[in-house]
Amino acid sequence: MISFIAKRIGVGLGLVFVVLTLIFLAIHAVPGDPAAVLASGGASGTATPESIERLREQLGLDKPLAVQYLDYLAGVVTGDLGSSFRDSRPVVTTILERLPNTIELVVLACVVGAVVGVVLGAAAGRFGGWVDSLVTAFSSLAISVPVYVLGTVFILIFSLTLGWFPAGGFVSWQTDPVGHLRLLLLPALTLSIAFIGVTARMTRSSVVETSRMDWVRTARSWGLTPSRVFSRHVLRNSMTPVATAIGLEVGIMLGSTVLAERVFNYPGLSALLVDSVVNRDYPVVQGIVIVISVLFIAINIAVDLVYRFLDPRVR
Amino acid sequence: MLHRTEPWRPSSPGARRNKRAIVAAALATGLALTGCASAAPDPSAAPEQTLRFGLSGEPQDVKVGADQGSTGYTLDALIHRGLMAYDADGALVPALAESFEEIDPATYSFTLREGLEFSDGTPLTSANVKNTLLFLADPENGARTLAAMRNITEVETPDDRTAIVHLSENNADFVAYLADSTAFIAPDDALSADAIATVGAGPFVIEQDDAGVQLVLARNDAYYDADSVTLDSIDLVFYPDGTARTNALVSGDVDLIDYVPWEQFSTLESTDGVTIDVQNGLLMDIEFNVTDGPFADPLVREAVAYAVNRDSVVDAAFFGNAKAIYGPPIPESSDYYTEESQELWEYDPEHAKELLAEAGYPDGFSTTILTTSQYVFHQDTALTVQADLAEIGIDAELDSPDWATRMEKATSGDFQMKINGWGGIVSEPAYLESYLGGPDLAKSFGWNDPEIMAALAAGRTGADVDSRKAAYSEAIDLMGTNVPFVPLVQRGQAFAYKDTVTGFSNLPGFLTFFAGYTLASTSISAG
Repeated sequence: MISFIAKRIGVGLGLVFVVLTLIFLAIHAVPGDPAAVLASGGASGTATPESIERLREQLGLDKPLAVQYLDYLAGVVTGDLGSSFRDSRPVVTTILERLPNTIELVVLACVVGAVVGVVLGAAAGRFGGWVDSLVTAFSSLAISVPVYVLGTVFILIFSLTLGWFPAGGFVSWQTDPVGHLRLLLLPALTLSIAFIGVTARMTRSSVVETSRMDWVRTARSWGLTPSRVFSRHVLRNSMTPVATAIGLEVGIMLGSTVLAERVFNYPGLSALLVDSVVNRDYPVVQGIVIVISVLFIAINIAVDLVYRFLDPRVR
Repeated sequence: MLHRTEPWRPSSPGARRNKRAIVAAALATGLALTGCASAAPDPSAAPEQTLRFGLSGEPQDVKVGADQGSTGYTLDALIHRGLMAYDADGALVPALAESFEEIDPATYSFTLREGLEFSDGTPLTSANVKNTLLFLADPENGARTLAAMRNITEVETPDDRTAIVHLSENNADFVAYLADSTAFIAPDDALSADAIATVGAGPFVIEQDDAGVQLVLARNDAYYDADSVTLDSIDLVFYPDGTARTNALVSGDVDLIDYVPWEQFSTLESTDGVTIDVQNGLLMDIEFNVTDGPFADPLVREAVAYAVNRDSVVDAAFFGNAKAIYGPPIPESSDYYTEESQELWEYDPEHAKELLAEAGYPDGFSTTILTTSQYVFHQDTALTVQADLAEIGIDAELDSPDWATRMEKATSGDFQMKINGWGGIVSEPAYLESYLGGPDLAKSFGWNDPEIMAALAAGRTGADVDSRKAAYSEAIDLMGTNVPFVPLVQRGQAFAYKDTVTGFSNLPGFLTFFAGYTLASTSISAG
């Protein structure tokens, strides 16, 4: 078991190295001069070429690419991801401020998505008929409605019409716990809808497939009640592919909550990543991509461990 | 086999009580989360003087003199002050300067108010004025007001309250450049390229910086006119998305928003309790690469100026919230305003075709328009221009990368035509010299016409209004046929606020981004 984990971590570290090299090369290959963007405040700008050149020197962008890469690698190894070009704050600090917000959002969305999705999918697979039709129709709709449309509709209904929730924003847990939850709920619900759809659909097909297995027929022939057969022999054995899907979805969601963050003005990591790409804030882009990759890889290792629990054959 | 380990029994009274408690707790949580449990405000209580301002982005670190976009101008106007500022009507008023005197158009004397202090309590003297102005005058520091500051030859400080600025040439508008919110007076330790200027002499100070969320400002008791500032604090809450910003105002989460998206004007106009304050401010224009190709020929540029239907741009890109212009905008209140200067061209595709034929392109030609996908109104403007150019035989393909890439292409001349949006640093036509004499990035690439630049310089340095007016009229007249750029529209730049916000005002024309000055006299009234 320990050697399995060590091996997976070793492979994961190798992957992180590949990712950080690729993102360094990619962001530097994209046209757009960070110094020019910075010196003009995102507008046409009146900055002189001299001032842009000096800014470039200050940011270390005048050094050869190989030197910049080695500096960057040396920093990563020592845990120093550099400082943002825009506000000169350490990237690690910025990420540590934003990451919990995104994790909170993603975890809540995933918990709601996984629980509701598994329940709906299991019900559809178990009862069939109109329940199945209803869940399948809902899943299709949930997956196909874009997040920004759903978010906008939620704001229209729950904020602008009913006035139950703020239209967006953020307040820290320490300042106002109730306000924090109120601001978290709508974006999390928005993100969870598609998640529910994916999980329900995956659970349903897995349940239907597992129900046809020999051991299920055998269990029935033993005289077990249908509900016991379902809960003990069908549902649990259906969960392996569902766990894979949930793991992947969580990883993907960590880096793709940007639309929900934008619509609800929620200060998460994804919106920061997009803004940083737009501003060519190289250290922040690189830092966020590294963190998301590490999390993604860690989640995959965790999913592998869950497999071993769910399916003894994997051990 | 089914085994029930415990017999079924109805809920005991204790369990029922527990259930009730759980249900009650769940209801209470639900009510709290939906905000229904909050106490109603006491209508007789004086309103809290905290303004929540939904700002269109997070400002960068404040650097002395730097052009940091609209959010930067607003923050500068809140935490800093220069010698001059603008009042709610857009009129120039002394700020840190108690008074000023134009000794001659190349020499200005400023008398500072008594007892000025920065927010950290250190005194603000004429030495700070001198050091700041010389910092702004150094091209390496890239100040937004460099066009005027670079002519400073000397700043005399005969005493702590007097600063006499000597210019190498006359500049009748020098004082107006000092009212630009980036031209604030800073302490000496902020006068370096990597220093962050958070200590200022403005009406507010930064009290709390919640990166990515908001900046909390508190009233600066060291401000020279602190007694007239009513607001105790301003929460600058960052809303980069225009729709989210508008929703925040409509739902009551904020009191005031800037940069109202054009598509939201009608929504806000029909919202009870909200005022939308619009001024036709920045201009959208077409700029050219004049180093080679068809646009090196002024006749082709003139053809473009006649070919574009500005009203289409107003409707398609700005939902009717802009003003079509046919010349470089000059306010009617200006001494230099003439009707002719605002009617250099008209929409006349037939004349445009004649000009093209005269230039040797009777069948038109193919070209590209550089715009950006990052700002929808830039792209929509380009689409309208593209359609109009097709009418006169110019087949233009759009090149629409993100803003950073577009900047790089504009800087290196990797384009033939481009759409740009900008505003003058001052309202008077002196802005044309700053613009046309500025970096290639922000104007037609490779353009330089000594005759026009000489006329603009004569306008700036003229000894009296009449001579300046004659020079500016000549320069603008020459632009009619040389066409260094094609002005299209002055876009409506809007702030929107609750009716409980009083004293705030949008400023006219290019000054719209300095509306932050009026927050010093803004207050919250009872709803």
